[in-house]
Order: sequence, then structure tokens, then C-alpha cells
Amino acid sequence: MTATLAKVAGTPPRERSGGPRRRRRGPSAYAVLVALAAFAGVMLIPFVVVVFNALKTPQEYSSKGPLAPPDGFNLDAVRAFWERTDFGNVLVNSVFISGSVAVLAVLLSVLNAYALGIGQIKGRMWVLVLLLMANTVPQEALVYPLYYLSKQVGLYDTRISVIIVFTVIQSAFGTYLLASVLSAFPRPLLEAARIDGAGRWQVLWRVIVPVVRPTLSVLMVFFFVWTWNEFLIPMVFLISNENQTVSVALGVLQGQRLMDATMSSAASLLGLLPTVVFFLIFQRTLSRGLTAGAIK
Amino acid sequence: MIKAGRSAAVLAALAAAALSLTACGGDDGGSGGKELKLWHYEAPDSAMGKAWAEAVKEFEATHPGVTVKFEEKGFEQIQKTAPMVLNSKDAPDVMEYNKGNATAGLLSKQGLLTDLTAEVEKRGWGKLISPNVQVTAKYDAKGTMGGDKWFGVPNYAEYLQVYYNKDLFEKHDVEIPTTFDELIAAMDAFVAKDVTPFTNAGAEYMAHQFVYQLALDKADQSWVDAFQRYTAKADFNDAAWTHGATTFADWVKKGYIAKNSVSLKAEDAGVAFMKGEFPMMFSGSWWFGRVAAEAKFDWETAVWPGAKMTLGSGGNLWVVPQGSENKELAYDFIDITMKKKIQNTLGNAGGIPVAADPSAITEPKAEKLIGDFDSLAKSGGLAYYPDWPVAGFYDVLVSQTQKLMNGTAPGEVLDGIQKSYDSGLPK
Amino acid sequence: MTTQGRGRSREQWAYVPYLLPGLLLFTAVIGVPFLMNVGTSFTEWTGVGTPEWVGLDNYRELAGDEQFWASFGHNALIIVGMAILPTMIGLVLASVLTDLIGRHFGARTASFLRACIYLPQVLPIVIAGVVWSWLLAPEGGAVNALLDAVGLGSLAHDWLGDPATALWSVIAVMVWIQIGFPLVIFMSGLQRVDPSLYEAAEIDGASWMRRFWHITVPQIRPEIFVVLLWTTIAALKAFAQIFVLTKGGPGGATNVPAYYSWVHFFEKSDVGYGSAIATVLTLVIIALTVVFLRMQGRELEEAR
Repeated sequence: MTATLAKVAGTPPRERSGGPRRRRRGPSAYAVLVALAAFAGVMLIPFVVVVFNALKTPQEYSSKGPLAPPDGFNLDAVRAFWERTDFGNVLVNSVFISGSVAVLAVLLSVLNAYALGIGQIKGRMWVLVLLLMANTVPQEALVYPLYYLSKQVGLYDTRISVIIVFTVIQSAFGTYLLASVLSAFPRPLLEAARIDGAGRWQVLWRVIVPVVRPTLSVLMVFFFVWTWNEFLIPMVFLISNENQTVSVALGVLQGQRLMDATMSSAASLLGLLPTVVFFLIFQRTLSRGLTAGAIK
Repeated sequence: MIKAGRSAAVLAALAAAALSLTACGGDDGGSGGKELKLWHYEAPDSAMGKAWAEAVKEFEATHPGVTVKFEEKGFEQIQKTAPMVLNSKDAPDVMEYNKGNATAGLLSKQGLLTDLTAEVEKRGWGKLISPNVQVTAKYDAKGTMGGDKWFGVPNYAEYLQVYYNKDLFEKHDVEIPTTFDELIAAMDAFVAKDVTPFTNAGAEYMAHQFVYQLALDKADQSWVDAFQRYTAKADFNDAAWTHGATTFADWVKKGYIAKNSVSLKAEDAGVAFMKGEFPMMFSGSWWFGRVAAEAKFDWETAVWPGAKMTLGSGGNLWVVPQGSENKELAYDFIDITMKKKIQNTLGNAGGIPVAADPSAITEPKAEKLIGDFDSLAKSGGLAYYPDWPVAGFYDVLVSQTQKLMNGTAPGEVLDGIQKSYDSGLPK
Repeated sequence: MTTQGRGRSREQWAYVPYLLPGLLLFTAVIGVPFLMNVGTSFTEWTGVGTPEWVGLDNYRELAGDEQFWASFGHNALIIVGMAILPTMIGLVLASVLTDLIGRHFGARTASFLRACIYLPQVLPIVIAGVVWSWLLAPEGGAVNALLDAVGLGSLAHDWLGDPATALWSVIAVMVWIQIGFPLVIFMSGLQRVDPSLYEAAEIDGASWMRRFWHITVPQIRPEIFVVLLWTTIAALKAFAQIFVLTKGGPGGATNVPAYYSWVHFFEKSDVGYGSAIATVLTLVIIALTVVFLRMQGRELEEAR
């Protein structure tokens, strides 16, 4: 199906990564590369600081300050934090919550955007404005109402409640981006499929989803990372330690008047590794981009 | 396409694994024995963390068949969500909570905390705790501290003192001050040698605590009561506050306190002191354990030179939520933490116990810390903290003190503080 | 759309079922809670117990609240830092990475650089705040040390402590956090541009700037709109970045409405007033969204 689709669409053959090397590289190209590498390096400086402090002992940190490089390789902080917060369980919770949200929110976005972008429903702009409210309402305003509602239906202090809430919140972006992209979707392609006898449901899954799949990957990465780093709503709704997520568990290191800088650094590194891994897994699909519009 | 399929499969596998794992960890009720749900937010290596861990062991030993289900919480999580948690069936049986009108006071007013007055009477906790320390545990019907009903029990105490880096004093040939005039002389001596005397953090509590201490130097008990317990109208343009604000601004100008500490956080200021960059730090006993463990120089602590009153109070409270299902067990647990044995552990670990046996405290620095506190408490010298009287006052004090450091006139700053104070008073 | 008449409108109804799950979930998770929030904004309430009806009191107070209006003023600058600058920088970077690096040094190099630039998006904001306050510290901070090292010691500054520079410093950190988002979206949008367009332009001797204006920007116009609106909303709701870097200080110089409402909700337990602030903020953002979507609709219509 997808193969024929590519032919119909007349997508220019994608160049493999080895291909472009044939082109000449002027000195200016090298200058740009160096400049960009330097820029990327600057972007990473704060991470270097985090790594430094993750490897220090508290004594080293207090006597030399946060910016000095560590003397050696000290992983005590990592180990201590792991045991103190039962971090294995916390990681599982975060992966479960963020993973579910990523998948469900993409699904919801696709359905919404299909109706808005392809269906061109009357008053679609107003529907979009309404759905976008999931993002426009500040989260702190939702906390008390959602607390009372979730208590009513018995979902307070459950991971499900957080998954539902973030599925809706994150899908606002997906709906908007996909609806914008799909409203430019080539009509002939749809009509061809309809003539072949495909219903709306089939058109969605066999024609549209394969074409916008790279966009869906982008969305999935964003939703995963965004949900992973959410703090306020998980803090309010995940009361029991056995339900906690990484960002809430990091909070135990921020005391009433003191913070534990070395352990916080170590813990935050531990906590961001899964998101980096997730990003790298999808990195490849990211670069394939939104092929939908390549069809001219 | 195949590759995308593979990553989707990885994702699905992860989600499935997560589901099955969490399903296993799900059920833990119904195991017959009783359970005491305990929450607190002290780090395991802090004085309170150590003492309370011992109390848990003691409790389980004296209560066969009962397990303590302890959960360490983030301070922020408890502060922001306590009213919601306590208003649900997920409330713990006993938990640590902040003292003060805006915190424990508010919860007591909302009817979320158990009135412990009868229990305090029965178990004699009231006799262990000096009246000056009791104030923060008792609230009236409006939730104002110093009331008639006990809603919490403080297990430890805290107060501010000056930490001296003795090595730096020696190096620059300065005497450690014991009176206010000597303090000024010492600071002048340091400034003459291009050393900033005090470490400071303008973005957090440290800066306005200087202001309050300087005001306390010109104040008395009734002034404190008016400000903290609304017994009379608090006037921020009175002699004491004006002295506090102008002196502090003056100190910044003279270089006793660095102007560029405006944006620093307490953590930065404390680390700078422990690095040996400043001869003095004026801050709380909560730093004591850390300085003891991490500072590489010789140091000592003392009450603010010449002070009759200083910042300090009972520590955070044990509170028993109204929804607690095991109140009797909760009282037993509190009782154990008040016992000499646990209190002594707390004292020897660098905390300030409320009911320790003085002779059992062996570490000399801890002995002085606790002795200083006891004499302050006996003379009624605890003046609480300036950010307590009204909710949200902490942010106002921080922000106004930052303005003061950046050169706004003291009168204008005090007017700003007055406005927030007046609008925040209980109606 | 209007010219196509009745058949078209029946056709539209067939798509409505696809909206149902979204609308139902939206009603439960956002719609009802938002209305409840509007309701509490007419009350005085601590979050527990029975709210006390006070009518428009909270709004009346809000209208005269100088701090609130000043905080809205800061938002204008934060939009620059969180929306406009990152979108512009992201656009240029995306174009350079795709058009120059990607074609001359291979897609792998481009992906690697993109990953580096995206990384700040995954760092928990709390830690980012702590690290940046170390880097920007007036004594011993890396930024001042660097200025000293290159002989610009006179520019060393108390970045977060001086009201004149605090907001700008926060904005700089926001740009750092934010760039990855537009970059990734723009780069994926640029994938659908036919490479032969660039090649033809290059052969014609078009400079990079010309290719940027005449090929890159027009091709990914939908993404530019999406990113701009999204980051603008994020800027209006900005809270965490302020909270961890300055807590609205020094002396209120970096206060924003979202932080202001947070303080009322959770520090002062003044849920009524907090709700009023949040409601006003939401209405402002909705108005902006409508204006923006109208503009987008018109622009894209023309482009088609």
C-alpha cells in the first residue's frame, strides 16, 4: 500500500546519508560547521556542570563550589538516591505514564485532526480554539477542580488519572499541528482512495496515517518528554510513593531550607537518561519529517 | 517503515512491562497486621532523620504485629498538597508538618487536624516542652498560634546563631565578638582587609532574617506578640523596624554584606561559608549538621552578639490528620519520639531536642548549641520568624529586602511590607 | 467551502464521530474544571470547606492590583524570549542544518548537532534553574569568569540580582531551553521540501540568504505559525522558569501572571483570587489564539 502510495505521490527518491558527500564543500561550509559545533558545545555546558556535581562528594562540593571539576569518580550519590526513593519503581511509573500518554495522545490527535483538517467541519476554527484550551488554561487553575472530580470518581492517587489528564492536555498540540498539516493534504490522493471503495475509517488508517507517520513520531517524542518533566499535576495526584514519577521523586532532595546539590545532580542525570534514549530511538524517524506535503 | 515499526514495538514492550510490574506492586493491604502510615520530609542523614528512624524501630519493637509504613516526601509536595491529601482517604496516620499560622494554623482552622489537647495532658508532653516552644504547637479558633488547643507536638527546636570561621578570625587577627559593638568593630576590621564579613542570600530567607534580628535588638516581647499574634496593631514604621531596615541597608553600603548577594540562594551562601570565603554566617541550626560534616576549618557557634531575643521556635510538628485511622498508634509513636533515648540521639546528631537529658549530650559543639537554646527558651528569647504572621509573607519579605539591598529607601520598603501585612491579616 | 452547498455539509457530518472522543475527554478534563475555576473566582475560598460567594469582588480587586498589571508587562518581554527569538533562531538553525550541513556533511552530522541543541528540553527545569544560577552567580560564576578571561571583566555583572538585567538573564536562559522545540519541528518540516529546488537555486547562483527567504520560509509556513502560537501561549503561561531562577525577584522585577496566580493558589491558599487571575489569563490567551488562528487561516489560504 505504502509503496504504491509513494509512486502515486511521486515523492522524489530520498537520498541516503552517504549520497550527498559527492557535493563539493567550500571553506565557508567548514566555517559554518565549526561555528555550529561551537554553538552546540555552548548549549551543552550546563550538562557538563550537572555531570561534574553528580560525581562529587558533598564535601568536595562544599569546599570547592559547584563549578569545579570533580576529583574522582564517586557514584555514592547515585546509589544512595536509588535506594532512598526506590528509583527503579519510580522509573517504571514514569515510563508507564509518559509512554501511555505519548501513544494515547497521538491517537486522540489523529482523530481530532482528521475531522478538523480533512473533514473541514463547519466552525472548525472554533472547535480548534476550544480544544486548544487544554493548553491555554494554566495548569494551576485545573488543580483544585480536577482534585475534587478525581476524588468523586475514585481516581485520586492513581496513575490512570494523570494519564487521562495529560492525554487531553498534550493532544491539544497534536491536534493543532496535524490539523494544520492535514488541511494542506492533497485532495486527489483522498479521492483516488475513495474511488477504490475505501471508507472514511480506512482512508484514515491506510492513506493518511502512513503519510504523516513521521509527524506522529515527532509528536510522540514531544509528548513523552513533556509528560516526563511535568511536575505540578503529578505532585498533586500521585500522593503515595509507590505511584510517584521521576520529577516528583526529585523533590525529596529539595528540603525545607537545604538542598542536596550533589545528589540532585546525580538524580537528575538518572532521570533524564530515559528521555534521551527515547529521543535517540526516534531520532531517525524525525529526520524523515513531514512527507505529506512532498506530494505536489 | 520497518524501523518505525520496531521502535513502536519497543515502546509497546516497555508499556506492557510497566503495566505488569505495577500490577505486581499493587496490592499490599489485607495482610492482617495493622499499619501505621508515617510521612516526614527530613533527609535520612539529618539529625531528625536519624532519630526518627530509631523511633520507628523502637515502635515496631514495642508494638508487635504493627508495621510502620514510612514514606519520605518532598517538602514542596507536603506544603502544596497537604489540604488536599488530608481531605481525602489517603491521609497518613501521623505526619510532620510546618508550624505557623499559614500552615498548621490554616489546617487546624479547616478542621483537618486532630485536637491533641487531651492527649498532651494525658501523656504529659506539655511538661516536657517549655512554654516559649509550645506557642507554635497551639492554635486558636482562627488558626492563630499561641492559642489554647494543641494541634501538633514539636519534637525538636531550631534557632538562629552566628557561625564563626575561627581560622579566618585568627588569620586576620580579629577577636570573635560577644557584644554588638564588638561585632561592628570586628566587621570593620574585616572590611579594612577586603574581606566581606557575612555571607548572605538575598533571594531567600537569610537577608530578611538579618533585618528582623536588627529590629529585635530594639524590641520587646509585646512587640513580637503584636507582630506575630496580632495582639496589637503592628506598625512597620516604628523605631524597631526602622532601625532594622536602615541598619541593614547601611551594612550593605559599608560592605559588611555584599551587595551582589541579592540574587543568591541560601544554598549558595551556605556553601560559600563552608568553602571558607566568609568569616561569619548568620543562619539557622539546620546548617549545624552539614557544617560539622563538610567544613574543613575550625568553627564555633554563638547567639547573635548581645541579643536578648533572636529568631527561633519549636521545630516542625507531629500532626495527626482528622482522617487518621490509627490515632491511638499515632499517639504512641509521638510518645516514643519524645522519650529521652530518641531525644538524646537527636541531640548527638546535631539537632536541638526539646526534652533531652543534658548530661547525655557528649559532643561539645552540640552541647553548646543545645545549652544556648535552652537558656534562650527559658528567658523567653524566641521571637519566631518574620515570614510567619500572614500567608505569602515570605515572598513579600524577600522581594522587599531585595529592593532594600538594591538601594530603595527603607521607609518605602517598610510601607510595602505594611501593605501586604495588613491585607493578609485574618478577617 | 461555502460555495459547495448541501452535499458538502452532509459530508462534513460524517466526520463528526471522529471528534467525539476528543470532545468528551476535553469536557471532562478541561471544560468542566475550567467552569469550576470560573465559579470559584467569584468566591473566597481556601481550597477546603465551603466557598463563600463574594460576587465580583476578586475581579474588582484585580483591576486595581498594580502587581498584577506589572506582571503582565513583563510577559511582553518573555514572549520575545520564549517565542520570537527561539522561533527566529530555530528557523535559521534548521535551515543551516538542513541546507548546508545536511547536504555537505551528511544527515548524521546534522542529526547529531540537532540532538545537542534539543537536549536542554529534556533537562528537568528545577535542575536547569539551579545550574544556571551557578553559572550566572556574581562571585565565581562561569559567565563572569569567562568575561574576565577574555578581557571584558568590566562587563561582569550581578546578572540575576540587578533589576535592570534580571529579566534579560531569565530570557537568555529561556532561549537556551526553548530553541530545541522549533528546531526539531522546522527540520522535520523542511524534509518535505524537494531537494532539487535548492539545487536548482544553487546552480542559478542564489545565495544562502535568498534560498532561505524564497524557499525555506515559504515552504514551512504552517510550522512557523504552529510554533509561534505555541511558544507564545507557553510564554504567557511561563512559570517554572521564573520560579526556579528568581521567584519573581529581585523586588518583583521578574514577576509574571502565572507565577502570581500560583502564589495565591498554593502559597496564600487564596484560591478565589488565584482563580480570578487564572481566568483573566485564560481569556487573554484565548483571545490571542482566535486572532492568531484567523491570521493563519487567511495567510495559508492565500499561499495555497
